[in-house]
Amino acid sequence: MASLSQLVDNVVANTFELSQAKTLIGRRTDNDLRIDEISVSGQHATIEAVPNAYLEGTVDYYITDNKSTNGTFVNDIRLEARQRLNSNDLVRIGWNEFRFIDEEENALEKTAYILD
Amino acid sequence: MAANIAGRSHTGAVRATNQDWVAWHLGDDQNTALMVVADGMGGYQGGEIASRVAAEAVMEALVPELGKSTAGDIDDGISERLQTAFFVANERILERRSSDPALKKMGTTLVVVWLADGYAHIAHVGDSRCYLVRGGHLSCLTRDDTVVQNMLDDGSITEVDAPHVPFRNVLTRAVGALAQVDVSYRRELILPGDTLFLCSDGLTNSLTDTDLEGILTMNTNAESMVDALIETALTNQASDNVSVVLLVQS
Repeated sequence: MASLSQLVDNVVANTFELSQAKTLIGRRTDNDLRIDEISVSGQHATIEAVPNAYLEGTVDYYITDNKSTNGTFVNDIRLEARQRLNSNDLVRIGWNEFRFIDEEENALEKTAYILD
Repeated sequence: MAANIAGRSHTGAVRATNQDWVAWHLGDDQNTALMVVADGMGGYQGGEIASRVAAEAVMEALVPELGKSTAGDIDDGISERLQTAFFVANERILERRSSDPALKKMGTTLVVVWLADGYAHIAHVGDSRCYLVRGGHLSCLTRDDTVVQNMLDDGSITEVDAPHVPFRNVLTRAVGALAQVDVSYRRELILPGDTLFLCSDGLTNSLTDTDLEGILTMNTNAESMVDALIETALTNQASDNVSVVLLVQS
């Protein structure tokens, strides 16, 4: 399971589990992760959880910016297109910072044919 | 036409051991050749054994066949013979794996070129590659058997994502992994002035395509090209083993 932890002054304030196939992030009340803050657009960004077609048991998380006014950033780079998230990526929604954590990444060690 | 071949495998700037293996053979007439690069995996000892076993199996099976290729028929069963050599390599690794528990996770990539009658017959499994340089332009003739390559092809990720995904080193096919191995094959016409080379991912991960094109167009003989490629990879602090076998067709 992956999660988004909201950071306030670099301290985790809230953690949101990304348990759904699609998580909507935005200011409006119909979002799954609602951020009631002025820099956030009504429906700002989406995170999709997609089972990896080639690696059994692996789920990839992709983030898309939905033409927000103030932008969605991953590691301080503004999103131009749908992008795969990696554990520990810093995600910024407007002025709000989150840390993306995917604890399943370590499970890859079990997979065959890993080049070492 | 005559070919000139050189090759080298280096531990790299970081690793303690070299799990790559290279081999080549130039026919007496300099018109036929075999070139092999294998990149082993599966632990400290296993990787070294797997790549060597695979390369030796291929050389043993195919070197005696080299002179037998007949002019006029470009196919001449070469693709079948390459495939059979891969099957033999696969079986030998599986045998070694079953006889020693310490080697149970070993496997290897394998890329082989058989040059005959002006054609390069290219067979591969894994992510060791074959490149052609023609008129200063570099093109990759093999498609990596990796999860990342599949995801790039189906549009899940972009070239920007590729270096960061945690499973960037996971292969979808390897020699010695399963009882049956699927081998990719293609044939390419080789022209005078062409440079063809095989390499492990240690080379392509430490040099850009621009670096490669620069080195391969500045030099003229196989030996100096191979040296320049390996030295540049080391200067760039190659984190993996670096191997190249390169052929210049004159």
